[in-house]
Amino acid sequence: MKKFVNDPQQFVPEMLEGLALANPDTLKYVPEYNLIMRADGPDQGKVSIVQGSGSGHEPAHVMIVGKGMLDAACPGDVFAAPPFDYVYETTKLLASPKGVLLLVNNYTGDKMVFEMAQEMSSADGIEVKTLFINDDVSVEDSTYTIGRRGVAGNFFVIKAVAAAAERGADLDEVIRIGEKVNSVTRTMGVALTACTPPAKGSPLFDLGEDEIEMGVGIHGEPGRRRAKMMPANEIVEEILGPVVKDLPFGDGDRVALMVNGLGGTPISELYLLYGQAHKRLAEQGISVGRSYVGEYCTSLDMAGASITLVKLDEEIESLLMDPAEIPIRVF
Amino acid sequence: MTATQLADVEYVVHTLAATAVDKEKEFGDLDAVVGDGDLGYSLARGFEKVLTDWESLKRDDVATFLQQIALVISSRIGGTSGPLWGTAFLRASAVAKTVDTIDGTAVVAMLRAATDGIKARGNADLGDKTLLDALIPATDELERQLTAGASPEECRKAFAAKTRECADGTSVLEAKRGRASYSGERSIGSPDAGAVAVAIIIERIVADWP
Repeated sequence: MKKFVNDPQQFVPEMLEGLALANPDTLKYVPEYNLIMRADGPDQGKVSIVQGSGSGHEPAHVMIVGKGMLDAACPGDVFAAPPFDYVYETTKLLASPKGVLLLVNNYTGDKMVFEMAQEMSSADGIEVKTLFINDDVSVEDSTYTIGRRGVAGNFFVIKAVAAAAERGADLDEVIRIGEKVNSVTRTMGVALTACTPPAKGSPLFDLGEDEIEMGVGIHGEPGRRRAKMMPANEIVEEILGPVVKDLPFGDGDRVALMVNGLGGTPISELYLLYGQAHKRLAEQGISVGRSYVGEYCTSLDMAGASITLVKLDEEIESLLMDPAEIPIRVF
Repeated sequence: MTATQLADVEYVVHTLAATAVDKEKEFGDLDAVVGDGDLGYSLARGFEKVLTDWESLKRDDVATFLQQIALVISSRIGGTSGPLWGTAFLRASAVAKTVDTIDGTAVVAMLRAATDGIKARGNADLGDKTLLDALIPATDELERQLTAGASPEECRKAFAAKTRECADGTSVLEAKRGRASYSGERSIGSPDAGAVAVAIIIERIVADWP
């Protein structure tokens, strides 16, 4: 393993420290709870939007904290749910009279921790709700999941609810928007290589030199099938097809199209995939209203990509277009 | 709320915590048969913290006390055990908040709230080979004894006996939840580690009742 790492146990804290040092005016780091929050937060005039998950998916979610996006993110260790007290303390620190929305990708460990934190902070009198994101069409029940997994599509839920909160929407309205965006967002991914967690020091799963995993999860969970390497256009066909069919998206639909890198794939390859996906959608009468190409939700150093579609309407598109200020600026 | 009642609750929690710490190895060995062997370790670390923090826990009333326990163990116990045990204490605390006296009926309501919380949080139900398969029938038994007019001592003994009987009875079940479910049919033939741990804890609480 060749990685920029000192002590694997300190991988996450050292990353967070670097992030805070690079953004002194906009971010605040609370090391006790792995917490990255807006330096000017919490804003008492708006609903606080918080996301937690394991680390290893950067820029999700610590690098999308900022005005117009998350008010805070409290990650756990690499691929591990944050401990309960991190989430509970984060919720208390971010409490606002307008309430707190906890966004959680649908994994069993995260779900338990966040539901517990919601229950505990509600008992303290904080108005707090939880919204689960489950956009991955690849498989139902998975290694760490009952139901569908939450993956790169969570970016759109975050962007929309954060914009709504910034405009002054109340907690119920923010949740309505989040549920709506989640309900029209679909994703599927593919891995060309496995990823290597710093503390493990070796690849998380075995994937042969000529093999790819169709429908891989962002923690290396198995997808639909192990295939032989094939031309890029054929890969697009195999992961875009199930995404389109699932909602389904069809003739006349206007969509946001995201090609997300999983951490170890150059952006040149992502644009190559984007071109093919865009053309295939056009052939089916689906027009791309907004496009997103880059790294949004990764799996450490995994080579691979995912494709996300969001069905746009006036409301969603308008929220996606609102301004935001975050450490990474890829939209 | 009387001081005696808080003292009883403190006794139950303290004995639970002490047993979890004392039996770390035994619980771990039970879990290693089909699970991942971390049950003993997880419970011991969580309840060790309860014992460490014991003197500083707030004791305004039973509800506050139980809520503090929920907070300590959820923060400390890793994996899914933390939120599960934490939820049980939190739900019991919510019931305690609504009653003036912790009598037999209130204890049944607290146990029911605790097991309902574990069901919801863990997405588990009776028959999934979890501690619920011991705790739910034992709570039913406790309620039967109360209705039949049994003495507090008889109630406690019946509760412990039923927990043990049902914990041992989980041997015939196939694990559907938790890490043990990864071994599926291989789990048949051994009792659920969590259920047996709960039986051992309750037996100790009843045997040493002051």
